[in-house]
Amino acid sequence: MIALLLVPALLLLVIVFVGPLFRYAWLSFHADSVITGLIAVPNGGANWLRLVQDQRYWQDLFQTLRFAGVSVGLELVLALLIALLLDQRWRGRDVVRTLALIPWALPTTVMALGWRWIFNTPYGPIDHLTKSIGIGSLNILGDPNLTWMATVWADVWKTTPFAALILLAGLQTIPGDLYEAVRLEGGNAMICLQRITLPLLRPYILLALLFRLAQAFGVFDLIQVLTGGGPASSTESIALYAYWNALRFLDFGYSATIIMASFILISFICVLAWIALQFIIPTHSKSQGVVEP
Amino acid sequence: MSRNAFLRRLLGSIFAVFICSALFGLAQAKTIESVSILMAAPFADATQDLVQQFNNEHHGEIKLNVIRGPLETEAMSDLAISSLLLGKAPFDALLMDVTWLPKYAAAGWMEPLENYFQQGDVESLAKGAREGNSYNGHLYRWPLTSDMGLLYYRTDLMDQPPETPEELVLVSQSLQQNQKVNWGYVWQGRQYEGLSCVYLEMIDGFGGDWLETRSNQIGLNSTPGIEAAAWLQALIDQGVSPKAVTNYAEPEALQSFKVGDAAFMRNWPYAWAELQKKDSAVKGNVGITTMVAKPGHSTATLGSWGLTVLRGSSHIDASIEAIRFLTSDSAQKQLFQKYGYTPTKRSVIEDPELLEEFPILSEFGKALEVVKPRPQTPLYAQVSDVLQRQLSSILTGEKTAQIGMDVAASNTDQILISAGDRQ
Amino acid sequence: MNRRFLIAVLLLWSLGPLMWQIYTSLSSDQALTQPFALADHRWTLVHYRNVLTSNPPFWRYLLNSLIVGISSTFLCLLLALPAAYALNRISTRLAIFSRLALVGAALFPYVLLFLGLLELARTFNLGNQLLALSLPYAALSQPLAILLLNSAFHDLPPELEDAAKLEGLSLFQRFRWILIPLISPATASTAILVFLFSWNEYPIALTWISDSSKLTLPVAMARIAGSSIYSVPYGAYAAATVLGSIPLVLLVLIFQKPIVSGLTSGAVKG
Repeated sequence: MIALLLVPALLLLVIVFVGPLFRYAWLSFHADSVITGLIAVPNGGANWLRLVQDQRYWQDLFQTLRFAGVSVGLELVLALLIALLLDQRWRGRDVVRTLALIPWALPTTVMALGWRWIFNTPYGPIDHLTKSIGIGSLNILGDPNLTWMATVWADVWKTTPFAALILLAGLQTIPGDLYEAVRLEGGNAMICLQRITLPLLRPYILLALLFRLAQAFGVFDLIQVLTGGGPASSTESIALYAYWNALRFLDFGYSATIIMASFILISFICVLAWIALQFIIPTHSKSQGVVEP
Repeated sequence: MSRNAFLRRLLGSIFAVFICSALFGLAQAKTIESVSILMAAPFADATQDLVQQFNNEHHGEIKLNVIRGPLETEAMSDLAISSLLLGKAPFDALLMDVTWLPKYAAAGWMEPLENYFQQGDVESLAKGAREGNSYNGHLYRWPLTSDMGLLYYRTDLMDQPPETPEELVLVSQSLQQNQKVNWGYVWQGRQYEGLSCVYLEMIDGFGGDWLETRSNQIGLNSTPGIEAAAWLQALIDQGVSPKAVTNYAEPEALQSFKVGDAAFMRNWPYAWAELQKKDSAVKGNVGITTMVAKPGHSTATLGSWGLTVLRGSSHIDASIEAIRFLTSDSAQKQLFQKYGYTPTKRSVIEDPELLEEFPILSEFGKALEVVKPRPQTPLYAQVSDVLQRQLSSILTGEKTAQIGMDVAASNTDQILISAGDRQ
Repeated sequence: MNRRFLIAVLLLWSLGPLMWQIYTSLSSDQALTQPFALADHRWTLVHYRNVLTSNPPFWRYLLNSLIVGISSTFLCLLLALPAAYALNRISTRLAIFSRLALVGAALFPYVLLFLGLLELARTFNLGNQLLALSLPYAALSQPLAILLLNSAFHDLPPELEDAAKLEGLSLFQRFRWILIPLISPATASTAILVFLFSWNEYPIALTWISDSSKLTLPVAMARIAGSSIYSVPYGAYAAATVLGSIPLVLLVLIFQKPIVSGLTSGAVKG
């Protein structure tokens, strides 16, 4: 009886989350484009065959993985540093914490416009900086080798506060006396980090990692406004390619195929990341050589 | 008359006057039709004066309003499509690039125009300007300006321009050997739509066809298709074109030719005016002809913008009025004189006054005779992307012409199958 | 390392880009081309004037986002509160499975859903209607909302509800008078997070709304970004960026407590 309370929410969730996924799976075996009048016509595995040969997809996949990997890696490191800084009690800490949260609250497209200007050659401050330290003008937004780094920077800027907050929550659950014990044994900050902080923080790191990895894999807003996928498609992401297949090329069937393939890949990568983390950071009990109570 | 009767009559007359004036006002309001046309920013600015003239002439009847779309034409198409997919577009007409027409037409978003532009109208257009306006037997677009690919050459370095690909190479090499120029031929070799335009001229020049849309016959890996790709690659290998040409778009090629670095350049008509400016090193020494090809196959890629009317618009007749005005002889003259937009009407191209002021117009007219549109399929964007990728890897030496064009052909085939265009 | 120095670096990094936008938005076009040179005629309000008097006016986008934000938050809470309550009262196995599914849904990159949602919009004619947008928004924020509210309900001592049941209060009355008031901090956190999400959302709004007068803030900014013909339009862009950022900065400053506690508790329970 009480379970009926779940029904509305469940219904909405199924329609919005589960429905599209099943639809994509079905649609990927159909031709649904402007040629078929946007009506689905079965075409066997033709879309999948095309995907396998589609150089643009594989290039975008590589670019997206590169973006996600570097971005999330940087974010986690920076987030940990920020969380450690904010974990201590000092005057004005809450104010700083709030101010540091501002980048996360701004819509990506709003700030992406700002980043276009910051990275602008020759008028932006970054260009002035590189010129003044002797590297010269880098044309960051126009050089296919460099533009992806600008997107990483913009993404790290926006999402690090979120990750930092998650890690901070975790840090605050660690009892202080654990550190005391290590310090009494003569350990320094590095040992604290290795033996206590990281292992106890692992579930939080896992949460931040999986969340950020999945989101970064679907990067769309930032790329569309900051670079439009360019220059020369060097920053194009798979989400953007799927979007253009539907909204520019009017090929819904192929777009669904791209999304389906990407969904499978993201799930796979998240599982891999989960497993990898188990190896990189041992649990607290293992690091202490003690059985957990 | 009794008081009641009088009051009734009074009220009745007031009521009648009220009704009459309301109807009159309604009739007035009804006849001021507002027509809105979406154009990319440069065109919106160029047609400002014309719009003003139109509104003055049709004051009280039609009010024409040009919506200024983004500078980037692809973004403008995105804007239009996102409205059309959701059901209703907030404009009556759209200034459309020639390569988008099949897609919009196949989606059923355009109003057929055969009933509004009769045979006489069509025949008043130059032959080349009649291309690219129809799809599946219906006329959908009325051209505003025409653009075609041209071969620019240095008149001070040769008497006659070459006519075949081999001649071009020979002339270039001899000029380079005699140190007259650094490079023989600069063109658009970057991986983008411009490269497809270059390739279309060459594959047609060698006697082939990129994609025959009626039968969906792909000619990319036929002999002419491979020859065309190989010839372009050889230009770089033999040093006729600089390696950097694989990164050239129109501005870079223009720049190179403008400072006198090259003997030949492929570009659009707009480049002519640029080359006659004061800072041009080749001012007065430039000639134009159509692209080199096997005898009888010379081709110019068609690029043109035209006006289409959206199906479901409630102001179709008024929109047609506006379109007629914007493409009228006097409008075309103005656009050419002030902005360099090549006219589409035969009478304007052959206008003696204009020819006197701009003799180059006759060359544009000649090139317009041999224009060829890019494959008119709704899947053009995807097909072009695949070609650009393979051509790019051929030009940079990563693949041979044979292998690259084979891949391009099979990828194109796969696109057609997956989108339902072929079983 | 010197803590003060680290704090300064953190603040500079976090707020620098926004500060630069403010600086740019107040600079004349001429000054923009020499950002570090000092010139006369450097300060101007013309960019703000341009942005605010454009067609449609900028405040329209903020209004649209506000409408969508409020309706999404309302709808989300309406659905999530009962669901969060019920989650504590179903069998444990089902509850664990549900929670896992919800976490999975919360992690999911929702941008991938744009195509399915576009088809829904076309089929049911939901396009270009601000209130209709609250349906997908409420749905996308359900997972997080249910999880947050559920843990708040979970933390309530069961005796409170038992006592209310004994007094004969119906389910609805219990909700209205006991349960919801008691978890109001969590509700506030959830509400503000959902509100922020709908202000920030881009792909769904992009595909569901095309009328320029109905655009939400992120889509409007993207359109502005694609539309200029000037070579250095960044004065106007910066003004738009600043105007678009102000509401959100204010939101963060005013609601920092619920935001932080919401994210924190979400992390702890997740």
